Amino acid sequence: MPTLANMSLQFGGDVSSLLNIVWLLSFFVFIVYGQRIQVYIVGNDISRALNRLKLMKDKSRKEAVDYFTGTGKTAGDPAQRIDEFLEYVTIMPVDLDPQGIVGKIEHITQTRDERVRSEVKKLMPNAEPVKVSVAENILEIAGSLNMIHKIVRHYYLLGKKTNSYILLVQLQMIMPQVLMEADALVNAVDTFKLGQPVGDGIGPIIASKYMAPFAKQTVAKDTVMTVSEYKGRTLYTLKAEGPMGYVGEPGVAIQRVIEEMNVPLNAIIMVDAALKLEGEKTGDVAEGIGAAIGGIGTDKFRIEDVSAKHKVPVYAILVKQSILEAITVMRKDITDASDKVHGLINNLIEEKTKEGDKVLLAGIGNSLGVGQ
Amino acid sequence: MSLPPATAQPTPPPQQSQGKAKFTVYTIEECPACGQKTKRGFQVGDYVTKDGANCSKCGNVTKMTLIYAEPVVKSK
Repeated sequence: MPTLANMSLQFGGDVSSLLNIVWLLSFFVFIVYGQRIQVYIVGNDISRALNRLKLMKDKSRKEAVDYFTGTGKTAGDPAQRIDEFLEYVTIMPVDLDPQGIVGKIEHITQTRDERVRSEVKKLMPNAEPVKVSVAENILEIAGSLNMIHKIVRHYYLLGKKTNSYILLVQLQMIMPQVLMEADALVNAVDTFKLGQPVGDGIGPIIASKYMAPFAKQTVAKDTVMTVSEYKGRTLYTLKAEGPMGYVGEPGVAIQRVIEEMNVPLNAIIMVDAALKLEGEKTGDVAEGIGAAIGGIGTDKFRIEDVSAKHKVPVYAILVKQSILEAITVMRKDITDASDKVHGLINNLIEEKTKEGDKVLLAGIGNSLGVGQ
Repeated sequence: MSLPPATAQPTPPPQQSQGKAKFTVYTIEECPACGQKTKRGFQVGDYVTKDGANCSKCGNVTKMTLIYAEPVVKSK
């Protein structure tokens, strides 16, 4: 008859054998099915993020419909037309032969912008220009969110369909940044609806200080300019026409000033918002050389082209901010930089030019909530 | 839209939230004659360079010079 001590020893031995078997089995399972398990876990992670993106996309679409029916007083239900807008595609020109591609891109984007504006005006025939521009911006936001959602969904489904761990992991890795940008876009809708200046509008705010008392002239589509005098220099100041949410065509405007109005500029100063790097402070100001302007690149190309041709130095002043701060209501940290920027502009004019010279100051950015 | 006179008792400006952060948006009106600055809550229709209320000090028409958001400070 086994003793109690022997029994417990035998039982203990059985448990450890069982644990050994379980350990070996799980080891075997992880070797064979490890990747599938990881695909499952990563897939779930992306699926949750995709659901968040869908909510954001639906929210921005609803905001757009509500804006058209509420503020724009659109007759009938604009939902179907808005859905068509969200699916609107812009086909970029072929780049096999890049010669002259900037002109083609410019032509295509101008055609798209004109089309969108005319359609929005049709939906809001009695609305003021500010409201029309806000509707354009809200539609653009809703369109961007729709596109982000579609692209993420495409790669998620493709990854699952092909059981591609690599594809899903890459998607999972960029999801925090994608969600951050999508969040910024959703938050921007409220700012646009209220017509408040956005962080990107710091350039136009600075320019408006130099423009306020003088007569304005239109120099390009949605772009206005004033001519004034600063310490013996002629100062040409331009910005997108506000308080509409326009960015204007500063490239066309600067080219026109130099080549059509035959103004022999001695310096161009550009003030713009710039995306800060992590660790940099919002509202930090940086100085530099070159065309300070974002967008698709057509305006930048024009400015670089005309300034190089006529040997006009281009000075840049940048106000740092995050993507969220750039497209949502202007923060105090950003406006606090305006005194410093004014000082830099005045210094540049005084140090880099002499009396009798001609200087062009361009406030680059969205002019929503910023008049002139 | 007519703005309340600068001396009027200001109503607390509405708060806006952006994600987890809450902000209050202010409009700064500046008198071009005496430089007096008035800070009040943003109202729909405000924009930089628009004419504001009459200056509380000299009576001249003010200009809106800035519109910005400040984070809401939580009271302990």
